[in-house]
Amino acid sequence: MLLPKFDYNAPATLDEACRMMAGYGDRAKLLAGGTDLLIALKKKTVTPTQVVALNRVDEIKGFLSDGDGLFIGARTTAAEIALSDLGPAGQALTQAASQVGSPLIRNLATIGGNLVTAMPAADMAPPLLALQASVVLQRIGEQREVLLSDFFISPGEQVMLPEEIMSMIVLPRLPEGCGGAFEKLGVRKALERSIVSVAAVISLADDGRTIQGARIALGAVAPTPMLAQEAGAALCGRKATAKNFAVAAEIAAREAKPRGLRTSPVYSRLMVEQLTLRALTRALEAANL
Amino acid sequence: MKKCHITFQLNGRTCEVLVDPNQTLLSMLREDLSLTGTKYGCGEGDCGACTVLLDDEPVNSCLILAAQVDGHKLTTIEGLADGDKLHPLQTSFIDKGAIQCGFCTPGMILSAKALLDEEPNPCELDIRTAISGNLCRCTGYQKIVEAVKAVADDCQGEN
Ligand code: FES
Ligand code: FES
Repeated sequence: MLLPKFDYNAPATLDEACRMMAGYGDRAKLLAGGTDLLIALKKKTVTPTQVVALNRVDEIKGFLSDGDGLFIGARTTAAEIALSDLGPAGQALTQAASQVGSPLIRNLATIGGNLVTAMPAADMAPPLLALQASVVLQRIGEQREVLLSDFFISPGEQVMLPEEIMSMIVLPRLPEGCGGAFEKLGVRKALERSIVSVAAVISLADDGRTIQGARIALGAVAPTPMLAQEAGAALCGRKATAKNFAVAAEIAAREAKPRGLRTSPVYSRLMVEQLTLRALTRALEAANL
Repeated sequence: MKKCHITFQLNGRTCEVLVDPNQTLLSMLREDLSLTGTKYGCGEGDCGACTVLLDDEPVNSCLILAAQVDGHKLTTIEGLADGDKLHPLQTSFIDKGAIQCGFCTPGMILSAKALLDEEPNPCELDIRTAISGNLCRCTGYQKIVEAVKAVADDCQGEN
């Protein structure tokens, strides 16, 4: 498979990369892990005349935490996230990262790339939605922070301008007593695009039983990764019991908008219900540890 | 299309190459450097036949541009043997009958090497996970897992 013709640019800093993107606009494509871009280039679904590789831009790689929360560089790989300790709620994300593609893919694929490509089944999107993440978008002399829940538009489409570069993902600091979990359904164990994925993050009151807040997010069952808002809301102020979890899971199944592309919508909804139940149960375990 | 001049460590030696910007690492290895141990299977990251170690981590060379390895360290299957002496994993694959057609073998061995360098005493699940991005159409995996395990047991014996 021959790749289309393009020039290769390897800026050393984010600033330099922003300048290049400003100059090239939509003639350029950013290259991070390459696991999606290289395939798109081979299939000629994208034909940039310039490729701007970010692999020397180390300032957007790795983890940094302060009082406000955790910052994850957009170039951090799925393998690095899978191995990191992000606490009992952050487990939703580490679990999702450890199930991206294969070990070979995880060493390349980046968290930023997983979001920017805006695929409905992107594994890391549901946990990030459940963790109330936002993303920082950078262009020359300007940056904006966008809530991930406002980021996706449709399959393959998000709110970024052609010259913008995602520099980091911000996870707000969560209160004590939070737990998270990720569940994914595929037809095999590796190299799988999810049929349904669910992430749940719950926060418990001091009594260890009353739910103060719950966020449930779904992947692959709507045109974009989505929050099941009503399902989460239904748990607020309730006790963390199997019965209440079952009610929330049923609501989540109703909120899903499966398009019936890979499985029938009925099956997708049933699986949303099951996986939500499992994710909530495991999130509770994580919160109580 | 401006050619890219890149310098990197290849199997322990410094290597300088002029590559096309739109050339994959896999094509540079096979076509320009005649290192045909790295195989072209699917070209899309699904089969792992093209596995190489980039800075000691296993990756799909069909999903990397050659230009991206500038300044990095690369190990291919050709870099494992020490002269005529095969790497213990290579010997073990032969001894255990873990090779049939051999197309997946370079990738399998490199994924296994990365695992053993990181975790000299892996459990079976570790081994199966480590090679989960490498497809084999011949062996049914059992012999491959046994071959990796045998090397792991060996280094345990040495310690
Ligand atoms: S050729 Fe690279 S994964 Fe198949
Ligand atoms: S030995 Fe033939 S593909 Fe593995």
